Amino acid sequence: MGRWELGATWIVVLAGALGAWSVAAATLPVPDYFLPPPSAVLTAAADLVAKGILPVYVAESLRRILLAGLLGLLVGVPAGLGLGLSRRVADFFYPLLNFFQSVSGIAWLPLMLVWFGFGERTILVAVNYTVLFPVIFNALLGVRSVPRIYVSALRTLGASRWRIVRDVLIPGALPSIATGMRLGLAFGWRALIAAEMLVGANGLGFMIFNAQNFHLTARIMLGMAIIGLLWLLLDYFVLRPLEQATFARWGLVQR
Amino acid sequence: MTRAAAAARGVSPFAVLVVAWALLTRAGVVPALFLPPPGDVARTAWEMLGDGSLWINIGASLGRVLIGVVVSLPLAVGLGVAVGLNRRLAHVVEPIVGFFNALSGIAWLPLAITWFGLGWTSVTFIMFNTIFFLVFFNTLVGVRTVPKLFENAVLTLGGSRRHVIFQVLIPGALPSIVTGIRMSIGFGWRAVIAAEMIATSTGLGFLIYNAANFHQTDAILVGILTIGILWLATDRLVLQPLERRTIERWGLVSTTP
Repeated sequence: MGRWELGATWIVVLAGALGAWSVAAATLPVPDYFLPPPSAVLTAAADLVAKGILPVYVAESLRRILLAGLLGLLVGVPAGLGLGLSRRVADFFYPLLNFFQSVSGIAWLPLMLVWFGFGERTILVAVNYTVLFPVIFNALLGVRSVPRIYVSALRTLGASRWRIVRDVLIPGALPSIATGMRLGLAFGWRALIAAEMLVGANGLGFMIFNAQNFHLTARIMLGMAIIGLLWLLLDYFVLRPLEQATFARWGLVQR
Repeated sequence: MTRAAAAARGVSPFAVLVVAWALLTRAGVVPALFLPPPGDVARTAWEMLGDGSLWINIGASLGRVLIGVVVSLPLAVGLGVAVGLNRRLAHVVEPIVGFFNALSGIAWLPLAITWFGLGWTSVTFIMFNTIFFLVFFNTLVGVRTVPKLFENAVLTLGGSRRHVIFQVLIPGALPSIVTGIRMSIGFGWRAVIAAEMIATSTGLGFLIYNAANFHQTDAILVGILTIGILWLATDRLVLQPLERRTIERWGLVSTTP
């Protein structure tokens, strides 16, 4: 299918969906707040931008998730790599990390509430936790799954320990690290939305949850669209290319 | 390595963690209100198992995930195969489903409450959306990535369209479908915990959130540990073996001519 044809089909599908939605909103015998028309979502967007609320909320949510991503990159990756270097240390931490990465940050949220109270700190801890553990876990896994033969080969050639870490273990772990970052941020983004719903005073999660209290359904739909789009942008333009690049470049594809 | 040795290696780190936790709390470094000693948590767990409250909440949470799976899986796989058969349709549908994938989980909650109120229906709706779109997407991608060569081979041998669907496309897509199922239940389990905190008065999510209101840290920890153990058990005993077996049996390994 050609580019133009695909584009045309797309426009038809989108127009059809929006049309059907408008008709349903106008004709269905339900209260207005139940299914607002697409135009109401646009009005809500214009209104929230004019009031300056939407840009602030988007920025707050992005700030939190990017902070968590940065922490994962700067702390999680080195920690996972470090723990993975020694087989004995890795064996000890593997089950622990596996357990902690499988409990989502949201499950810890009630405990964080007792520890840190209702507020920003609790959100940040829950999100950072959710991102950090899959990153550490996968970095450790990545180092450990580099075939021993490569390490032995370099050692036979007289390489130092540092050379082996730099030229074999870290590159070998990169695909796994990229996967860990992508998975961690995917879970983290959802945990962030949930945390903002429960304890937030701003951010997209707070926005859609608060809108529900006032039956501002158009605002909920707007928030959902932004949440979905932001994740898609992050995934398609940053995380997925990163993962594919590391797989193609350093993935230990066995031929 | 024997099974016993492997088990010991898996358990011993947790033993070390519990000992450290016990020492930390006994020494009074952390007040019991913030982190009760492991003995207290074990006692609370025992009480909650005895009076049945923990079982009820476990049942509620697992039940919600199960309902979500039962309702959405057949639909997701069926539609995924149907759409995957039509290349044109697949091109259009894929990005749409991709978008709803990105939205999976807790973001549906406010809309769910608006439409269905607080309670079971809302949580089921969230679970449906989380599981359906992920499995649908993976089925679609799975069907589309089965090499055309296999399809042609069956057709050349006189196979019908039905043969192609049931003996080539669905088996070929199975590894991708099963990976989708495993991921969707992972996301679903997290979503159900978050949704229960807000929208219901049973379930493990409600248990821990409610306990936080009363500063019952021991009950919170019992809940968190249960959540973690249940997920690990489901993943290890059901989902991972399923995925491994499917990939071994139907995975398109070494197909390059």
